[in-house]
Amino acid sequence: MTLNMTAETETAKIARGLRERDMELLADLVERCQHRLVRYLLYLTGRREYAEDLAQETWIRVLQRGSQYNGRQRFDPWLFAIARNLAIDYLRKKRRAVATVSLPNDRDAMLLLPSSDPSPFEAAARSEDAMRLAGRLQILPPLYREALLLRFQEDLSLAEMAQVLGAPTTTVTSRIYRGLAALRSAFGEGDSHGG
Amino acid sequence: MEGDKRFRELIDRSFVEEVSEGERQLIHDHIRDCDGCKRYLELTARTIRGLREFTFTSEPDSNAQVREILAHHTETMRQHNVQFKVWAAFAGALSMSIVGSALVYQVAKLLTVPMYFDTAEVQVGVLVFWLLPSFCSALRLLAAPGENRGIA
Repeated sequence: MTLNMTAETETAKIARGLRERDMELLADLVERCQHRLVRYLLYLTGRREYAEDLAQETWIRVLQRGSQYNGRQRFDPWLFAIARNLAIDYLRKKRRAVATVSLPNDRDAMLLLPSSDPSPFEAAARSEDAMRLAGRLQILPPLYREALLLRFQEDLSLAEMAQVLGAPTTTVTSRIYRGLAALRSAFGEGDSHGG
Repeated sequence: MEGDKRFRELIDRSFVEEVSEGERQLIHDHIRDCDGCKRYLELTARTIRGLREFTFTSEPDSNAQVREILAHHTETMRQHNVQFKVWAAFAGALSMSIVGSALVYQVAKLLTVPMYFDTAEVQVGVLVFWLLPSFCSALRLLAAPGENRGIA
């Protein structure tokens, strides 16, 4: 109960600060979230330079549309949702020529486009297992990569993930399972139900 | 085999969603006798552990850069906001000046007969004593320094 109260107060404070364009609060949010925001955008785009640029764009959007944050949910999913929309628009502009067919929705389709550049995952791997996963992550469709990051690194709940991805929780869980199945094979397991 | 598939789905669920204590016990009992599912559980746990072993370092001055950009944007937005308010106030004052003058003119016209005024005199009076001062006040709003406008 106390924890919930604290969380409410915190999000309400953020909402008020964003409405008032409180620079001190924004600086604090940048300090707390920038690293995770860049990481999320890196998983999404697979490109370091895109991630850094998009993170800056995301913060500008937060400043401009801060009054839209209602303070009833956590700030992080709201931030990631903004970043995601920006990333999709950005990738759409970058890769206009690539056809996207037979996918549930056009915006998600953009994330299924693999990056042709080397991935930063190997550089970020801090263990032998992570190094083995890095190769798989590089070729894993960003939609699945994103789902795995949000669940296992950001520890977002399925409902929060659904909010970020703009998809039902069944779709969210399906992406996690498929992503896990693809990565599990890095350790020699080919048999999985997810696909 | 079909049973194994069901258990593996349950194992996946136990890592991603909430599962009941009963289901957890079911997995525990099953993997005691099933090496395939036991390995599946270990691999899933290892995969998730591996996912948490990536460390992405930001550019060293990344945060400072973002803060600087935000400060610049805040200032730009504040200036735009002030400009908008000034023009909106000017438009309001101008409309009030015109509407007010029209009303005063109508009232003055009614008084021409009892007060023995000439229509031309009324027009000049409204122009000199009402329309021009109110119009000048509206213009003064635009020329005044920001802190003296009383609106920004």
